Amino acid sequence: MESMDVTATEVTVRAPRRRWISAEGGLGIVLAMPILLVMALLVFFPVFVTLWDSMRRIDPMRAGTPFIGLANYFKLFADQNVRTSALNTLVYVAVTVILETVFGVLVALMLNRVKRGRKWLLAAILLPWALPPVVNALVWSWIFNPSHGVLNGLLMDWGLITSRHVWMNDRVIAWLFISVVHVWRMMPLTAVIILAALQGIPAELYEAAEMDGAGSWRKFRSITLPLIAGALAIALSQSTVFAFNLFDEAWILGGASVDTRTVLIQVYQSAFQDMHFSYGMSLSVLVMLASLAVSLVYVLKVHRETRFD
Amino acid sequence: MKSKKSARIGLALGVIAVLVWSLGPLYWSMVASFTPPLDITDHVFHYFPVRPTLEHYGHLLGATSVTQGNITESVWPQFSRALVNSVITVTAATLVTVALAAFGAYAFVRLRFPGRNALFALVVATLAIPAYTVMIPLFRLMVSMQLVDTYVGVTLIYVSAFLPLALWLMRSIYQSMPLSLEEAAWIDGAGRLYTLVRIVMPLAAPGLIASAMLTFLSAWGQFMVPLVFSPTMATKPLTVLIPEFIGKNYVDYGLMNAAGMLAILPPLLVVLFMNRFLISGLTAGSGK
Repeated sequence: MESMDVTATEVTVRAPRRRWISAEGGLGIVLAMPILLVMALLVFFPVFVTLWDSMRRIDPMRAGTPFIGLANYFKLFADQNVRTSALNTLVYVAVTVILETVFGVLVALMLNRVKRGRKWLLAAILLPWALPPVVNALVWSWIFNPSHGVLNGLLMDWGLITSRHVWMNDRVIAWLFISVVHVWRMMPLTAVIILAALQGIPAELYEAAEMDGAGSWRKFRSITLPLIAGALAIALSQSTVFAFNLFDEAWILGGASVDTRTVLIQVYQSAFQDMHFSYGMSLSVLVMLASLAVSLVYVLKVHRETRFD
Repeated sequence: MKSKKSARIGLALGVIAVLVWSLGPLYWSMVASFTPPLDITDHVFHYFPVRPTLEHYGHLLGATSVTQGNITESVWPQFSRALVNSVITVTAATLVTVALAAFGAYAFVRLRFPGRNALFALVVATLAIPAYTVMIPLFRLMVSMQLVDTYVGVTLIYVSAFLPLALWLMRSIYQSMPLSLEEAAWIDGAGRLYTLVRIVMPLAAPGLIASAMLTFLSAWGQFMVPLVFSPTMATKPLTVLIPEFIGKNYVDYGLMNAAGMLAILPPLLVVLFMNRFLISGLTAGSGK
């Protein structure tokens, strides 16, 4: 589709005199220039500086900033805190991506069946995603609060526990709760992406399957699942990138605790608390590369989808 | 007939479960915002505020109150200042981002110029960059340009952070629009820019609104960027001010929850009345 547009444009607008840049191209550059300027100054240049600085030793405690090649990166692999935070992040990625996908698909299927008031139900479901993450985290830390939180209150009210728990002291529970808060915020995104795909499935397919005597599960497996596969891949890579970059929830609920800190919290600790600037930067470069790799799957997928539309 | 009825009951239960999941935590925060301080810290559990009070909201919005002999000063000066800061930076960031994306995306779709695809790929790739990767060099840069703790500085950073998504969205909107309309205008002698502003943009209005809403929500929720780049009340937004209500020794839970309830009002209005645009925006990138 895109390539067709491009040829059509060329045919209509090609300037009579052949120059290196046509008048249209000139306008294109003028319109894109502000974007290039903003991104170059505030993103590309700082990323380049970070890449370069991650290969030097920048440490306020030590004189000079010599070039040390990949030494920071090798040091990362031996660092116990980095390993622990990497494990935590992997746990968050696994738990949140699974929960977001399973519940996101279920919620989308449900929304697709709701006829009356869908707009309002959708608004309610989307709300957690739209709120400031800081407010989300504060709302949930209030729920998990050991002395006055609703979680202890409800569980004691129902007689399920007899004393108040300090939830964040148990590592597995802390992992789970931080994941739950992240899922609360990000699951709506999966649900909305899947819902859009569900609405694109023609009803006749289901009618035909019903005539052939297919049950609900059979219809889901043979019609729904293959037709939402593309959207599912997009939702999965979105969830993965967001989980890789988890920060706010773990920071407000678990603080700097090694048991719950994510790789990005480790970056913050190394660079801003311990003042090992270049060391923290090298870790952030690794997070960036991991995110880019996952996003590439997303971009390629979307590119193919739009091309074959 | 029977299975149809049970399916409907199942659907209703599902809807209730989802509503409790999505709104329950917010309900609980709202309860706290209406509960007097003494009731918050007593260990008796209530499902709703037994003795509802507007004390915390009053504390935020102007009244000085007395609790157990302690005079509580109103935080209205800080709160109103942070609210104004939030509104100014978020509005400016949204307008600039959408304007740049609206004109820029058109260039990326319809106007050929050297390096077009490479630039687009580079800009969109920055979506995957965690903010911490650029934080230190960006801070040094902002210091050297004397833009730390200024509206211009914060706005510029927001624009650079949210422009890629808006650009991606607007590009997919323009791509889905038929070229024939524009061709008709060109044949009538209209220029490129005139066609873009008078014909293409009005047709792309839902996409422009969607980009604006997505940018607005992202900027409104920003925490880390203003934490570093808005250190004083000169530009500090609500999201940075609210966690500061957690003092070192004493946490004013009621005040914190009341402030949170007020901070979620703008996103709440957007979700309630603009959700059609939000959803089209969230799904536009996925090709449909």
